[in-house]
Amino acid sequence: MTGLQFQKGLYYIGIALILWVAVSFIVAPIYSVLTQAFVDGSGLNFGAAQELAASGRVSNAIRNTLIVSALSVLTVNIIGIFEVAALEYLDIKGRRFLKFAYAMPLIFGSVVAATGYNFTYGQTGVVTRAIQSIFPALPNDWFSGVFAVVVAHTFLLTSFHYLFLRAAIRRVDYSVIEAARSLGASNLRAFRSVVLPLLLPTIFAASLLVTYESLGSFAIPAVVGGQRFDMIAELILTLNSLRRPDMAAMLSVLLGVAVILCVLLLQRIEKRGSYSGGAKTPVAIQRIRLSNPVTNTLTHGFAYLIAALQLLPVALVVLFSFAPAKSIMSEVIPSSLSLKNYAAVLSGGEAFTPLKNSLFMGGTAVAMALLVSLFVVILANRHRNKLTTALDLTFMLPWTLPVPFIAIGLIVTFATPNLLIGNQTLLGSYWILPIGYAIVVIPLMIRFLRAAFYALDPFQLEAAQALGAPPLYRFMRVTLPAIAPIIVLVAGLNINTILSEYTMSAFLFNVNNKPLSIALFEGARSANPEQAAINLVYMTLIMVFSYVIISIADRYGLGKSSGR
Amino acid sequence: MMNTKCRVVAFTTLVALGATTAAVAEPITVYTPQGEERGIWITEQAAAAGHEIEILSAGGGELFDRILAEKANPQADVVFGLIDAAMASLKTESMFQAYEPAWAQGLPAVYRDDVDNMVYKFWQTPIVLAYNADAMDAAGAPTSWLDLTKPEFSGKYVIGSSAWQTTKSYLVGILVRFADENGDISDEGWTFMQDLYDNAIVVESGDAKTAAFVNGDAVIDLNWFGGVGRQAADVGYTATIVDTEGGTPFISEGIAIIDGTDQLDAAKAFVDWFGSPEFMIAYAEEFGQVPVHPEAVAGSPMEVQANATLVSPQDIDWDDVAPKIDGWMQRIELEIK
Repeated sequence: MTGLQFQKGLYYIGIALILWVAVSFIVAPIYSVLTQAFVDGSGLNFGAAQELAASGRVSNAIRNTLIVSALSVLTVNIIGIFEVAALEYLDIKGRRFLKFAYAMPLIFGSVVAATGYNFTYGQTGVVTRAIQSIFPALPNDWFSGVFAVVVAHTFLLTSFHYLFLRAAIRRVDYSVIEAARSLGASNLRAFRSVVLPLLLPTIFAASLLVTYESLGSFAIPAVVGGQRFDMIAELILTLNSLRRPDMAAMLSVLLGVAVILCVLLLQRIEKRGSYSGGAKTPVAIQRIRLSNPVTNTLTHGFAYLIAALQLLPVALVVLFSFAPAKSIMSEVIPSSLSLKNYAAVLSGGEAFTPLKNSLFMGGTAVAMALLVSLFVVILANRHRNKLTTALDLTFMLPWTLPVPFIAIGLIVTFATPNLLIGNQTLLGSYWILPIGYAIVVIPLMIRFLRAAFYALDPFQLEAAQALGAPPLYRFMRVTLPAIAPIIVLVAGLNINTILSEYTMSAFLFNVNNKPLSIALFEGARSANPEQAAINLVYMTLIMVFSYVIISIADRYGLGKSSGR
Repeated sequence: MMNTKCRVVAFTTLVALGATTAAVAEPITVYTPQGEERGIWITEQAAAAGHEIEILSAGGGELFDRILAEKANPQADVVFGLIDAAMASLKTESMFQAYEPAWAQGLPAVYRDDVDNMVYKFWQTPIVLAYNADAMDAAGAPTSWLDLTKPEFSGKYVIGSSAWQTTKSYLVGILVRFADENGDISDEGWTFMQDLYDNAIVVESGDAKTAAFVNGDAVIDLNWFGGVGRQAADVGYTATIVDTEGGTPFISEGIAIIDGTDQLDAAKAFVDWFGSPEFMIAYAEEFGQVPVHPEAVAGSPMEVQANATLVSPQDIDWDDVAPKIDGWMQRIELEIK
């Protein structure tokens, strides 16, 4: 029986630890942001808000963010709906190729995509030089500002449409479309007045996700936005480096409110259900062949054009990662290929350090997050009470808050010795960044693990219990083996996210732990071709890693996770 | 067997080494913006003089932030090479340990710290206005910092990140010309600052700055003295320095021991060695840097001495302006940029 008591003791220690994690790394940072923003020594204070309102740069950044978000929603929908129609509604030749091309944003996101677009269309970009060789009048910085950010968003944020809208259109009952057509509706009309209304809830949900991503966009405006162009997330970092944490906190509260509104709306839509149009036993959609040769040709042309634009930056990055550094800033197509750049990164020299840092921090962050998430899910599974619900909600909070908000919270909370962590200072230390990563990935882990637990066979556990197996033994021998594949996959997906995570990294990194995303960002602004070559290798490696992880996840039906 | 024997030999050697010089035990950590070849050279020279140091080098602004962030748990033993205003701010934050170096005797009063005995200056550098003489002639070049807002210089000069010590210094140098008796900047000053930014190429990275000179857009370089020559050599042009009307801001770099160091004696020994006229002369011979200690100036190569009087200094009281700089930079970042 002492064994059981020992297990019980362990269990309570676990609960205490989890509570400590929740209070120290989620509640305290959120509290710090709010007090920084609204309270000073003498009580409630809105001085930071007034100073923000007075700043031209801040109002410009807010305006830019709103314009970019509004335009992005529009353009992403145009391209995204067309992509889905081309793949699932229309009969377009080379569908497999199109599907491959349209899936690019799944592996080409965040800072990788930002540096990739910069490499393609930026000041010394391949396309910029190619166009200049024909039209020398094209200015070097043609791809910058609102235009560049919206173009990059337009293609990169179609991942939600690719994942969710395609699933939704497959649920549309083909007999409804047939009925419309037999009543004399044209293809376009059938799509517009029958299919589209059924898809509207999903389109709306995807639009909100696009808004959510655009509002907090950081890597893309920072890399392709060009000089004197800011969006809100970047400016929060600037305010922090001007040693005005109060103003940074206030601006993150503003961003937080906007993002939370998005999330709340999204949840209402999810609750109302996006399946209203789906039949119980739908007749699978038959892709429509366009009979008018002109329309058909134009549609094919447009579909391939979008595919080309989706593929171009990725293809150029991969191609030039094999090119000698010399040709990177000068040639349009490399004249020779080698593995030299890869050797430079993988041989373990200075160029390997950021990769090593990110892998190590990603690994430890995911391990910490897994421990916490597993425990939270087990706890919620065993006891359904106010405490476990509160714990669950607390760990889900970081999902509804923008990353700069959490980052500023960690900075403010741990810039001075804090009793919560034994009077230590975390700011400037190695561990603050992996902790930040862990906080951000926990919500998604909890969601997946919870789903995995629901899918467990309750009879097995009951059988084990009836046979007298103690709780820890049951967990180790029955539960864990059953959910192990999910754990491995979730770990892989999250390491993948962390490898190209930019926002948290930009706020919390220091010279000891410079991660891959920051190396990529610095490399993108460097005029040194050797640095550019190393960057291309990093990007290719990240994309290969993403591709492998997401393909495996897709096979296990977890592909949707990559959306965030 | 062999292995154990080897280890014993290695161990005894280590003990023997440790006995001869205590410094071998653990190098002191030095924070300084002097990186790459300069950092390596300083480390080698220090080692030759019996001081084991490990340099952590980063931009001045970054190091400043780092030292503040590490306040509760200091990682550095000594910091040198930050400029007047930064050292003054760190001193106000009680980051330093008092120590009067052996070479403080004979140092002019402006470079000493007679009140707190914490920060002592060893180099001075003018922040100069220079131009690419291959692309611009003397008649067409600006003769004062205040000329930069003229239409003919539009897009011809680069303003770097305001987190850089150099940028910060000349921005302050310009602003103080518009200060009233309380040290507050007039509206005219802020309007000028707005025009200065509107007329400039504004960049955030050193590479972007270099790129502007490589592609020929920029021909006027606002840079610290040593940086002018280095950039001209990198890009491949001849630089001419202007002795501007109204003077050129001079900054001096200081050295101090971090409060809470666990190797106080080694740190003191290093400070005594580093600022000594002998090492300052050696450094001037190697890199052309102008020292401030009169003995070191006298012993420096002639061209270094000549460089010291190339431009006339602008009168700036750094101790006075130091507390105002954060606010000014904030206004530039948030309302002007």
